[in-house]
Amino acid sequence: MASRRERIHSRLRCAAQAASEFLYGMTTYEWVCDMRRERGEIERLFILVTFGDIVGVPILPPYYTLRLLPYVVPVTNRWKRSLLRERDLTDLVGMLEGVT
Amino acid sequence: MNSISVLILGAVAIVVGYGLYARYINRNIVQPDASKATPAKMYMDGVDFSPASRNVLFGYQFKSIAALGPITGPIIAVQWGWLPALIWVILGTFFIGWVQDYGAMIMGVRHEGDTMGALSYKLISPRARNILMIFLYFYLLLIMGAFGNAVGKVLMTSPKVPFGMIAVVLMGVLAGQMTYKWKADIILTTVVTVVLTFVGIWVSTLPFISNIFSGLYGLEAAGGSPTWFLGNTQAQVLGTLLVIIFCYLGSVLPIWSFAQPVNYVSFWIVSLGVLGGIVGLLIWRPGMGDFPAFTQFTTASGPLWPMLFITIACGAVSGWHSLVSSSGTARQLEKETDALPVGGGAMFMEMAFAVIAFLTATVAFGGLQGYQDAGGAGAALGVFSKGLANFLGYIGIPNEFGVAYGSVFLTIMALTIMQLVVRFMRVASAELVGNAMPAMKNVHVGTIVALILTLVFVWVIPWLTIWSAFGASNQLMAGLALLLISLWLKEEGKKNSWALIPAAFMIVTTIAALIYLAYTNFGKLAQPGITTQGAIAATLVGTIAVVLILAAALLIFDGIKALLKPREKPAPEAA
Repeated sequence: MASRRERIHSRLRCAAQAASEFLYGMTTYEWVCDMRRERGEIERLFILVTFGDIVGVPILPPYYTLRLLPYVVPVTNRWKRSLLRERDLTDLVGMLEGVT
Repeated sequence: MNSISVLILGAVAIVVGYGLYARYINRNIVQPDASKATPAKMYMDGVDFSPASRNVLFGYQFKSIAALGPITGPIIAVQWGWLPALIWVILGTFFIGWVQDYGAMIMGVRHEGDTMGALSYKLISPRARNILMIFLYFYLLLIMGAFGNAVGKVLMTSPKVPFGMIAVVLMGVLAGQMTYKWKADIILTTVVTVVLTFVGIWVSTLPFISNIFSGLYGLEAAGGSPTWFLGNTQAQVLGTLLVIIFCYLGSVLPIWSFAQPVNYVSFWIVSLGVLGGIVGLLIWRPGMGDFPAFTQFTTASGPLWPMLFITIACGAVSGWHSLVSSSGTARQLEKETDALPVGGGAMFMEMAFAVIAFLTATVAFGGLQGYQDAGGAGAALGVFSKGLANFLGYIGIPNEFGVAYGSVFLTIMALTIMQLVVRFMRVASAELVGNAMPAMKNVHVGTIVALILTLVFVWVIPWLTIWSAFGASNQLMAGLALLLISLWLKEEGKKNSWALIPAAFMIVTTIAALIYLAYTNFGKLAQPGITTQGAIAATLVGTIAVVLILAAALLIFDGIKALLKPREKPAPEAA
């Protein structure tokens, strides 16, 4: 059974962890999101260029598309949804953190 | 009433509102399920959907919703007396604010991360989405006008502010270079840029720098800065142009090199100022002095009902939060059960922020006269910077530096928002009219058009009028969001009065405010001796109010039809 001191230490560690995550959320998390978004968009475009025929874009699959196929199969459903999802201007709200 | 009593009242509201009411609704009505897969997990694509821990999201949500709104609204609203403003901040958050933020978030999670636009289309009607876009468009245009007015025509006209603002911008650019080009450690980058920014703010208070701006603004002339055009002085025109240049750079430069790092450095400048202000307030513990609990029913902004309820938007309830909660945070929630601490918790924390702003107006100057001498409702940001300087004085910061610091931090807070809004407007105009007018797809053309519209609003419309119009467009979005939440609850077979009653209140109040705005502004046109500037401003604001009323009327019609429609889903069976 944990002693009282250990319990207090454990709670303090949890509080410090929560505080550091909170600070991260308020500061550099936005940078990380932007970078991730940029990488995701480039990847989405790359898959469209190489596997566009899956969604009806008429491209001739070259040889290396077949080499990439095993890596793309696991993300195909997510990629299709991400590419074809209906969007409107409220989707861009992510650009506007801290407006009001 | 003592400042500590106000803080205790705020704390009690958080404990009861979040700890009892919000938790009761969450547990017994919404019933989130931690084991259900959220859209962030199901559709993780690294672009829109990506899970994050609730502590990280709490920080992200709070930063996304708490900016200048909770500071400005309460400072303007104390013109009706401190009691109505305080009651609305506390009860507005308690019964409406968190309901909207949390409701929009959990509704987004249960609807596969759909945006408010898509939800309006599905739950109300196809044209409800277009109405939301109208609200959004006016909201963004008015926010540019309101913040541009407050910063360009008030804060930037002080000769001790522009150099401090330039220092923040330069340090932001340096932070971007250090992080992305030189791969420097983030802690080193933060320390270097934040310390240098404080040095820059201090330098801005020195006579040899402030004299340069005094000369530039024509402040040394007898009678102060000369009037150039449309009633704007030389200082106001040049201050506004500095704002416009900043927004232009923020819109056209790559986000990593300008907007993002400037935002980052300004976060530390703002946070340290707020923390210092809170410590100073706790040491000082001032009372309200002779600040009246209630002044009069009708003030410069109009009658208490409905105008108070649109004057304080953020800090009580803000429609913008529903967009952030659904399109932003709902797509990152790891578990459904995180929606309450993230959505509801961040809103209650914003209420605490609004209470601090309320105190800078009411207790920092010893009474109503001090508040009015500091600028009053007509210069709300000036009141905050001077009030904050008074608080900072209790931790040993000289008043002159404190005022410059407060002004720079508010300026940079507004500018970081404005540059992102211009960026958004540029992208939105390219999407909306880019095919019909290919020139609008050009980055510079789109930006310049957005900035010209901003200048018209800033130079022509008076501050209090534009703030009221901005608040009305914001609160209409809140009404729409609450209506959507009510419809979603109905669709799920859950009790919805906790969202429907606030929706009715927000819609009725906001439409009343818009009718008042339209009536007073068109009424001004009939007044003899109205100036050209006054006539343009009255026509602009009156027209915006009429457009928003018509849009809201269509929305109510469609909303009531949707509410009366029989439910499609079968009711859940009792356990």
